[in-house]
Amino acid sequence: MPKKSTSQQEGWNFEEVAMPFVDALYNTAYRMTRNAQDAEDLVQETYLKAYRYYDTFEEGTNFKAWLFKILKNTFINTYRKKQKTPPQSDFAEIEDSFESRLSTDVSGKMKSPEEEILENVLDEDVKRALDDLPPDYRMAVILADLEGFSYKEIAGILELPLGTVMSRLYRGRKLLESAMLTYAREHGYLRSGEPSKMRSSQLREESKEQK
Amino acid sequence: MNCSRAKEIIFLYTDNELGEELLVAFQEHVVVCPQCARRISYTRRLLTVVRQGCTRTRAPESLRKKILTSLRQPGVEWEG
Repeated sequence: MPKKSTSQQEGWNFEEVAMPFVDALYNTAYRMTRNAQDAEDLVQETYLKAYRYYDTFEEGTNFKAWLFKILKNTFINTYRKKQKTPPQSDFAEIEDSFESRLSTDVSGKMKSPEEEILENVLDEDVKRALDDLPPDYRMAVILADLEGFSYKEIAGILELPLGTVMSRLYRGRKLLESAMLTYAREHGYLRSGEPSKMRSSQLREESKEQK
Repeated sequence: MNCSRAKEIIFLYTDNELGEELLVAFQEHVVVCPQCARRISYTRRLLTVVRQGCTRTRAPESLRKKILTSLRQPGVEWEG
């Protein structure tokens, strides 16, 4: 028995407000599931749920954040169980490498090793490092750094206290930084005979040529 | 404010999430601490590298069509 019959009018209205977010939702779904088919299913399910519960959306509140909250809940309920969780990094071992080296080089104009390595980080390194983050941290980082949500919005989407959002972002970004720099260092070792100040754009051109 | 406190809240600063009181204290510290000032530019660069490294993957056209098709079925009922 139908719980709600939907007029064509309402349907079009929902489409107009919701469809502009399909790329943002898909992108987040793809980064969370790491699989194109699962990402498609997750986004489609999100839209169907959002449509079904559209009348519970409070006008004047953040519609994009509301959609992301549905995506998050659907992801947790359906897809997260399917995922193989990557080995978790031991936070105690995350060294603030920037801190440890910079202290010897405060006044000098030379770049710290991390500043220099950061310039050699490739897009692939960023994606790989992000994909390897534990899902809770990955979601927080995606919402803040790729989607530009405020802390308050993220707290609403993830249904967490603000303090937990801050700590997930802090740890997530530190883990990400550590992994990115490690991957970039690996390129550095492979290219030990080349100038160390090579820019990431140059590296990108070269890696294209090598393919 | 000391360096370790500044370090703890540096993301709040670069994310424009610091309340006024902490923001003033943070800024006052940074003016006299080149190391923390430098950490700010490093942190900003780090977040830019992350953002630019993850350029948005566009939703496939087939997905848009699938969603629109489902939404346009009159009286369709979805069970969650």
